Order: sequence, then C-alpha cells, then structure tokens
Amino acid sequence: MADTLAPVQPDSTWRRFFTQENVVTIVVGFIVAVAVILPLVVLLVSSFLVLDDMGFDSEWGFDNYVTLFTDRIIPKAMLNSLYVSSGTCLVSTVLGVSLAWINARTNSPGRDSIEPYNLIPFFLSPFVGAIAWHNLASPKVGLLNVWYRDLFGLDGEQYLLNVDTLWGVIWVTGIFFTPLVYLFVVGSLRRMDPSLEDSARTTGAGLLRTTLTITLPLVTPAILSGAIIVFVTSAGEFGVPFKLAAPYGWETLTTQIFTKAVGDDANHYMGATMSMVLGIITVLLIWVQRAYIAPRSYTTVTGKGFRPNVLDLGRWKWVAFGFNILYILVAVILPILCLAVVSLHPVWTAEIVPSDMSMNNYVKTLFWWEEDSIRAATDGIINSFILAFSGASIAMVLALVVSYMIHRTRGFGAKLLDFLCVIPIGFPGIVLAMGVLVTYIKTPIYATLWILLLGYITRFFPYGQRNIASIMLAISEELDQSSRMAGATWFTTLRRITIPLLKPGIFAGWVLLFVIFLRELSISIILYSTGTETLSVGVYYLANFENEALTSALSMTQTVVLLICIFIFRRVAGKEALTA
Amino acid sequence: MARAETKDEKYLVVDHLIKWFGSDRAVDDVSFSIEKGKFLTLLGPSGCGKTTTLMSIAGLHTIDSGEIRVGDVIYTSKEKKIFLAPEKRDIGMVFQSYAIWPHMTVAQNVAYPLEIRKIERVEIDERVDKVLALVGLTEMSDKLATQLSGGQQQRASLARAIVSNPLLLLFDEPLSNLDLKLREQMRVELKRIQNEVGITSIYVTHDQSEALVMSDEIIVMSKGQIEQRDIPLSVYSKPANGYVSQFIGVANLIEGTLAKKNKSGTGVADLNKTIKGLTCDCVLSSELESGDDVLVSIRPENISVSKKNTGGKGIKGKVDLAIFLGNCVDCRISSDGFEWKVLSHPRENLQQGDSVFLHLDPKHTLAVTP
Repeated sequence: MADTLAPVQPDSTWRRFFTQENVVTIVVGFIVAVAVILPLVVLLVSSFLVLDDMGFDSEWGFDNYVTLFTDRIIPKAMLNSLYVSSGTCLVSTVLGVSLAWINARTNSPGRDSIEPYNLIPFFLSPFVGAIAWHNLASPKVGLLNVWYRDLFGLDGEQYLLNVDTLWGVIWVTGIFFTPLVYLFVVGSLRRMDPSLEDSARTTGAGLLRTTLTITLPLVTPAILSGAIIVFVTSAGEFGVPFKLAAPYGWETLTTQIFTKAVGDDANHYMGATMSMVLGIITVLLIWVQRAYIAPRSYTTVTGKGFRPNVLDLGRWKWVAFGFNILYILVAVILPILCLAVVSLHPVWTAEIVPSDMSMNNYVKTLFWWEEDSIRAATDGIINSFILAFSGASIAMVLALVVSYMIHRTRGFGAKLLDFLCVIPIGFPGIVLAMGVLVTYIKTPIYATLWILLLGYITRFFPYGQRNIASIMLAISEELDQSSRMAGATWFTTLRRITIPLLKPGIFAGWVLLFVIFLRELSISIILYSTGTETLSVGVYYLANFENEALTSALSMTQTVVLLICIFIFRRVAGKEALTA
Repeated sequence: MARAETKDEKYLVVDHLIKWFGSDRAVDDVSFSIEKGKFLTLLGPSGCGKTTTLMSIAGLHTIDSGEIRVGDVIYTSKEKKIFLAPEKRDIGMVFQSYAIWPHMTVAQNVAYPLEIRKIERVEIDERVDKVLALVGLTEMSDKLATQLSGGQQQRASLARAIVSNPLLLLFDEPLSNLDLKLREQMRVELKRIQNEVGITSIYVTHDQSEALVMSDEIIVMSKGQIEQRDIPLSVYSKPANGYVSQFIGVANLIEGTLAKKNKSGTGVADLNKTIKGLTCDCVLSSELESGDDVLVSIRPENISVSKKNTGGKGIKGKVDLAIFLGNCVDCRISSDGFEWKVLSHPRENLQQGDSVFLHLDPKHTLAVTP
C-alpha cells in the first residue's frame, strides 16, 4: 500500500526550469523591476531635455540644470526646502525623543493609555493638519488669534501666532512627523537590556552620568535614523508648504515641481530636473541611514523582551504628563476640533455661531444629489476608496511574493529584488510621480485611475513588504520545507502553509497601505486629471476654489475614516506591529 | 504497515555526490548506499557536510555533481540532468525545529501529507488515529502545535513524516532542541517506532552517543568526506583513523611510528617521540607498513591502573586529578610530560599525588593512520 505521489518521471532540464516557483519569480521580478526602474530612468533622461520658448520642441542639454541656479524662484525654493526640512527635523527629533523617553523610561502617569494617541498623527494627513492649523492660527481668521484679540481688546491687525510662514510649515510638519522619530527611539529604549545601565550604576556612575554615557549613546543610532527619515519625508512633503507657505510667497522644491507638472507654465522636463535634485538628496540620505546608521543600532541585536528601568520622576512626573498631553492636544485634538467647528458653518468668518451650524457642507461634498454638489470632492471619495482597496490588495500580493523571493530563495534574484524594494523608499512620492508622469503621459493609462494605481503601488509596496518580511523572518523556513517534503507543490505550500502563517502581517500591511493610499496627496496631485481626483485632491480642490468650511467638511470626513482605520489596525496588528 | 518485502541490496544510493557552497566543497565526492529498512546515521561536527548531504537527498537544494536514487527512482542526477522536485520524492522528514505548523491542530498536521495525496477522508482519519496512537499522541490530536511540549512536537513531527508510508525517512538533528533527559528517552522511542514501521531512515546528528544508540550503521564525516562507515560497535572499538577515534568517545591518542608489523594484523608501535622509551604491542587498524607514522588510540576504560607494578612492564605515572563519578574514577595521570585519561575502579582508591603504574592491553591498543 505504498501511496506514491504522481507518477515519477524525470523532468527535462527545460521543464525543470519552468517550475511554479521560477515562473512566478521571473514574472514578479520583471514587473517590479519595470515599475521601479523605468520611471526613474525616464526621469533622468527627461531632465536633460530642454523645452524651447514656444513649448513645442525640445533638445538635449544641460540648460535645465543651469536654470536651477539662474531661475528667479527655484534657488530660493531649494533653500526654503532645506530650511523647512532642517527645522522639521529638529522639531520632530526633540519632541519624538522626549516623548519616547517619557513613555519608555519614566513613571509619568497614565502612560499605557496615552501612548497610542502619540501615534495618531502618523496616520493622518499633514495637508489636513495644515488646513486645520491655518484655521487655528492664521493672522486674520485663526481662531486662536481671534480669541487673543478678544481677550485683550486688540484691533484686527494684531495677532499671537502666524502659521502662514515657513515657521508654520516647520511647526505643522514637525508635529505630524514626530511619531516617526518616536517609533524608532521608543523601540530602541524598550529593547535595551537594563543590565547595561545597571552595570554602569554599579561602577559608581550616577543617574545623569549613566544616561549621558550609556543610555544616550545606545539610542543614538535610532535617533539619527528617525531624524534622517523625517528630513527626507519633509523634503518630499507637498501639502503643508502648499497650504501654508506658497500662497504667501515662500516656494519650496515640491511646490515648484507641482507648478511645473500641472500649472499654466507646465514644463515636465524642468519638473523632472528638480525631481532629480530632490531624489538624489533623499536617496543619498536614505542610503547613509541604511548602510551606516541602522546596522549600528546595538540594542536591537538581542531581540529579547526586557523590562526596562523606569525612572521615578517624583513631582516632575506631572510635568512629563502635561508635556505629553500638550503634544496630543496640538497634534490631534485641537486640529480635529477646529475642523469640526469650521465644517459646521455655512461660511467661516472666524466666529463660532451656534445658531448657523448645520451638516450642509457634508451633504454638499459627500453626495451628488445636492444641487450645488462639488463634483471633484465626491468623485475623489469614491476614487480614493477604489484606489485604496485595489492598491492595497495588489501591493500586498506583490509584497508577499517579493518577500518570499527575498527571504526564501537564494541567489541573484533575491538580492536584486531586495535592492528594488529599497529604491522606492528613497524617493519622495512627488519625485516618483514625476517619473511616472513623464514615462506614461503618452500612453493610454494617462488620465485614468491606472496611472495613479501604478504610482501608489510602486512607491508604497515596500512598506507592505516590510510588514510581511518581519514575520517571515520570525517563522522557520522548515515550516515551508516540511510541506514540500509532505508532497505539496510550491503553490500548495504557499496557499496552505505560508499565507496562513503570514496572515496577521498581510492584514496589518493591507490596512497600513489602505490608510496611506486614502490620504495620499503628493503622488495624486501630479498624476490626477479631471474625473480621477482623489480624496486629498478633492481637499486641495476645495481649499483652492471653494471656501474653508467646505474644505473642513471634506477634511473632517477623511480624518474620521482614517481614525476608524487606525482603530482597526490596532485591533488587528496589536501594539507591536508599528514598532517593528 | 511495512512495505512489500523485496530484499534489495542497495536501496538508497548516493553516488559521487558533490555540492559547492561558493568556493567551499560542502560535500566532496561522497558515495554510500543502504539496504532497505536500515537506519543509517551521518555523524560529524557542524560543517562536515552531513546536513548538506541530507538536504541533497531531500531535494531542498540542488547538487553540483553525482547521482542520488532510491530503488529504480532517480532523485537527482547531474549527468542525466534530472532533478525531482522535493514534493515528488515521497520522503518523510523530521526537522530540527520539528516544523509543526502552528495554525493547524496535531491531527491536521498529520493528515496533511495524506490530503496532498488525495486519499479519502475516512481513510485519512483512520490512518491519522493509528499513527498518533503509535507515537503516543492520541489525546493531543485536537491541540494546536503551540500547546505541545518539545517532546510532543517531536512525536507529532515524526507522525507526520511516517503517516504517508514514504520511501525514505530523513531526520535532521531532531533531538538537539530537547533537554538531556528527554533526549535520552526519545532516542529509544524513535528507534522503536522506526523498527515498527520499517522505513529506511537517514539520521543526521553531531551527537555520537545518539548515533551509537540508534543506528544500524554509522557514517562518520568530516570536511565533506566520509572518514569511516561501520556498525556502531566497530566505529567505537576500531576507529579507522585518529579523527574518528577522537570524535567518537574519549581516547588517549599518542603519536609514534610503527616499529614492527606482524602477519596477524598486530605490531609494535614506537612511541618514543611522545613518551620517552615507550613501545607497545598493538592491533593495526588499517593497511599500515612498518616505518609509517601512526596514532595509537587507547580508550580510558581499557587502561588498568594500580599502585603496584605487576609484571614489571607498567608505565610509571603520577595522579594529577581524580574525579569520583560513582561507578568509576576519572583520572588524569601524567607520565613523562604526557597526560593520560584513565577510568579506574573506585576500589583502587586513587588520590591526587599517588604514584601509579599503567598497564596497556595489546588487544585494545589500536594503531591507526594519523
């Protein structure tokens, strides 16, 4: 009663090459390579194309690169970008490190219940944050400034705060990117072996000395990693400077790329050149972070769960508590409350009028059947849900196969794919979108949702891939191998063993991508056209052509949806998912 | 449950197997074969090529040269350009980590190979019950893998490997994650079950006592090559060379030259270069000629030690260390700069600092190639 498997016949070399595994590897590898490499190559090539004055013909040359320095606006925009990124980096690092330390290492009250709220800005749209802060602290109509004037009986020219400046950009981007630093540092502080500090104490070093000579150096790589990520992300951030700086005369590199991509004096080749500059800087920084800083993170080596030393702050713990609450107030509660209040008024006049409040703005933006519906906004909601759902699904399938190739096969293909997965992380969305635009503008996918889908997936599938990879590394390869030995084919093994084991990672990654796609602006703003607006483009549209109240209504809608997603994400992925 | 009894001289054949890892020859021209139903152990330190050989048989990686076949089925052959995918080889395998799938119950784990073979549900249930009874896990069948202890996961893994009645059973250091007591218990258990199902087995381990207890035959490997292949008793008592005698058990190894060779396979070794003036009668293990460099290998339990020099031929020494182990005393005895490892009987009552005489037994004094 031997239960032999399928009749055993020697396979020819040719058939042996076309195993399920190899075919899928080649197909997926090819797709990823084309999706990632092609736009960047075309972007590079386009940056050397110079458009003539009429805007019809082009020829090869370095003129675009010369223009970077001779233009009336671009040199200042580049400096402004540098200024904003450095400032954001500083704000996020100071806030992120201190919040991480408070939550990981002190007895500040209520840490467990407060901590999740520190991460909320990570999931929300900075662009919406800028809109909210504009309503809170623009000189004339900012609610905080109105209250300030009322309180002291000052005239209309006086104000307390002004976010419509580069400082405002730094402030809003800074508080929204704080969780990036926070996540790096809090993980590092928690995973640190407490005996490292204890042994310093036993040698006679005091608390302060131990903190400065042992704790801080050990988390420095994490801090630097977080700081670099913030610098790079804020350099590629479009929404905040677009809302708070560009209208008041401060252009940045991203707002300039935007005007070259769509505006009246669109010049894709010039946009490509500026994108190249931005991309080269960010890629270099990400490379430094991955090659030199991440490997130095000593504390992650052990991988053991420790109970970290907790410092008794005494009465100062209430200061720490207050500081954390203040952060949540300015980054989450105030902006959301402000959006809610503004969105209920027919027109926002910087005055809260309870008798005028209604849900009219929501009806106008969310439903077409209202007479003066705002088509771009309503279309945007639907498009964004289509894109987020299909994009997250396709990206996770891709991420699954790519992770499998990287971590379960050896050889050239695995290394190449690993490399291809890093590249999109190094380029800001707006840069990659510019590449996609110049690559596909003459193909039928331009002006369809497909080009947006392509841009989204290419830029963000590595995030999903990391989610899967972290679990895949934790589960033994022998679990797969034993299925093969049991007689299952590669595909059956994938279906019955690998995927079920990876399910939590796949779902967590899916929700994360869903959130990212739902709030995505900098790729969408380059690639959208009439009819293919997205939710964030809808917000942009309203902010530009309609009033603040309508804008706030759509922003509020987006925020609520994102908050629901965060709730689901935490329920599914658990506490640890983000710190990985 | 046993397969049809066709007594086959060579069942599994590994023929001139070569596998490169980068510029390393992990397996360097290895050939062996085993008879049907036998239990063969590949023994050696990590990096000796034993696991690579096993993985080559399993098909979990490709080979660079040679051929592997079972009966008339060719698993892989570089020359004939054949490579059978692992799932087509009909092999049961027990992994080091047990690889029990955590998202399935024990019964589901064990049923998996049968489901793949599209066997009817009724028969699957029947056979799963039977094999779980065999490994003693009947009560655990509805538990998830995460609820099992290490030893139970081990049994579940074995059940899954044998349930489909495969052509071969492969073990990749399956006991190395268990604690000592459980390990000793599982050795006997594994051997019992293998006897019962009679599936030809290849077992990979670095633990010599595991190999000695379980195997019908042992292949000792080092640096990708076979050092010796024999039954456990012979591997222990007649190591083919210095490497094997050192790896299996404990041995006193003394460098010297072969002074005289008798026809009966015995001879006289001159150990002057290690211990001044010492010569000894010995058994010659392999084809040695007089004048050859040799290693003389003597097990600690084969040296008798006493305070009196009976017969006048004893080697004089001093006890450096005497560790009481209950049934014997583990001694270190220095003699002319050489440190002997000797197991003495407790009634000799040796103490540190005693002057003693060592007596070698020519029957258990073995000369091997270095």
